[in-house]
Amino acid sequence: MPEVEMVDATDVVLKVENLKKFFPVRKGVFSRVRSFLHAVDDVSFEIKRGEVLALVGESGCGKTTTGKTLVRLHSPTDGKITFLNRDVTHLRSAVDRKWFHGKSQMIFQDPFESLNPRKTIFDIVSEPMNIQSEGSLKYREEKTMEILKRVGISPPNAFLWRYPHELSGGQRQRVAIARALVMNPEFVVADEPTSMLDVSIRTQVMKLMMNLISDMHMSFLYITHDLAVARYMSDYISVMYLGKMVEYGETEEVIQNPLHPYTKALISAVPVPDPEFKRKSIQIKGGIGKAIDPLPRCRFYDRCPFAMDVCAKEEPSLVDVDDGHKVACFLYDKKEE
Amino acid sequence: MKPILEVKNLKMYYNTRSGYVKAADDVSFVLNEGEAMGLVGESGCGKTTTSMAIMRLLAENAEIISGHIYFKGKDLLKLSEEEMNKVRWAGISMIFQAAMNSLNPVYRVGDQIIEAIVTHEPNVTFEEARERVASLYKLVGLDPKRMDNYPHEYSGGMKQRAVIAMSLSCNPDIIIADEPTTALDVIVQDMILKEMSRIQKKLNMSMIYISHDIAVIAEVAEKIGIMYAGKLVELSDSVTIFKKPAHPYTVGLMSSFPSIKGEKKELVTIPGEPPNLLNAPDSCRFAPRCPFATKECWEKEPPYEEIEPNHFLACFHPQNLRKQVSEYARG
Repeated sequence: MPEVEMVDATDVVLKVENLKKFFPVRKGVFSRVRSFLHAVDDVSFEIKRGEVLALVGESGCGKTTTGKTLVRLHSPTDGKITFLNRDVTHLRSAVDRKWFHGKSQMIFQDPFESLNPRKTIFDIVSEPMNIQSEGSLKYREEKTMEILKRVGISPPNAFLWRYPHELSGGQRQRVAIARALVMNPEFVVADEPTSMLDVSIRTQVMKLMMNLISDMHMSFLYITHDLAVARYMSDYISVMYLGKMVEYGETEEVIQNPLHPYTKALISAVPVPDPEFKRKSIQIKGGIGKAIDPLPRCRFYDRCPFAMDVCAKEEPSLVDVDDGHKVACFLYDKKEE
Repeated sequence: MKPILEVKNLKMYYNTRSGYVKAADDVSFVLNEGEAMGLVGESGCGKTTTSMAIMRLLAENAEIISGHIYFKGKDLLKLSEEEMNKVRWAGISMIFQAAMNSLNPVYRVGDQIIEAIVTHEPNVTFEEARERVASLYKLVGLDPKRMDNYPHEYSGGMKQRAVIAMSLSCNPDIIIADEPTTALDVIVQDMILKEMSRIQKKLNMSMIYISHDIAVIAEVAEKIGIMYAGKLVELSDSVTIFKKPAHPYTVGLMSSFPSIKGEKKELVTIPGEPPNLLNAPDSCRFAPRCPFATKECWEKEPPYEEIEPNHFLACFHPQNLRKQVSEYARG
């Protein structure tokens, strides 16, 4: 069915509607499933061509699960994923799977673990072409050299037959990026791609990704816990808390004018590299829990300094407050009425 | 201010089959009483090695080639192992990297801290030690009732707090915190850093914070040392380091960090990668990555000197560098 790929430059590449991913929690003598961990619960958003969406939140908030579900390393429990105007929620046929996985890729956090130590750089980078049975061996070699050069591994022919252990952390992450981009994907999920790298290497890799995104016109989902990095990398930010999307908006708008109490606390907790700047942080109680069979109420209720009665009874939904700036909080919901 | 710890020309090399790895090379600094100092650098720059040398917790192949570490006037490198045992924990204690994994999973958290107290102070009874742990728990913001829990019953932030309580257990003069918040989430990190800063001021202790994150160091340290490839390249008070950095590496590091406050600036990248410290040459180790390197930098090692009061620098071009550096940082 490759004919339906006719999309123009401004079109939505990925559309996610009410995505849910629950994991069964087994307990008891016979390991019966007693409850579910709501890792991703009713998340909706879309990414346009060439757009970078940053997914931020603390560990355990469901950002990685969301990313993995979108490239279908997990199958969703419920909801709908539309990719290039085609429903890819289930991907039942092998043809569909091959088509989808050729166009969506993932970059993992740890380049020391995501590259097979027994394969050469050529094997690693050309594997997607292998699986997609694209071109001859010669073509693959040329393509691999080209992409390695683009990610700053030069001269590429000196690296082609080396193994990952011969490379530094920064070089490995470049190879992982090359592997993800060799098929010219439409959509890439990058899961904390710079958090394992050293400071001076991190900036290099961030800049490289930014250049590649604008050159190759990809749509990017950038998963990070670091709001300062998200600010530099993304056009839009979405904040997750215990499986829920609590805030969404243009990056500068969310950073400068956060609405949700959780986003406010999160932004106020980020250390500022300026010894003269006196930061005031918003104190919130307790720590992040686990969304195992959560009650139908706001998940931030226990920790929220502004919690009201209504927050304990109902779940707030994500509403547009100001020109695309969306927030899931009753503090803002009321004003609308 | 009285100096409490003085590290002088410390050279600590690892002896490997292929030669010496110069992990800490000619490191000198002074830590005053009640002062919080930060050591910043990338992995492998020698910041952990330096702190391990201070504690004399060295790997078998580590060799202290030369140098002195004076703690309250005594040279720690000359003490016997037995005497050193008395300094550890009671004089200088340490919060290790990934402290949350440094608790023994099969013992109750409280008992582990009690053990540290009883071992170092034999005349303290179990009950007294227990009481002390309870008050330490309150100091770090933990509920003393949780003393009888096991580590797996604690969250990451709570484990970190327990480890801080443990480091305080024998009333040390200095605490060395090696990446104390690296594994924690931002909100928890913020709470822990505040807590540590508060305790440090309250007890008037000296602290050495070790981190790769300059933003974290900026929040807690009054004095900052920048390490690169085994060398201390710049040392000054935190405002000077951030506002008037003199070493090109410091400048690069400062401007390669994204910030959440202020204008969104273009990030500067430092080209290349840190060098291999195996048989490191006697030239400026930053020269291969430095945009201002001259012939001199490739031939000799720049001396580590005081260029202004309390501002130490190891670079050949401090005078004319400032202007160039600010231009470089801008574009």
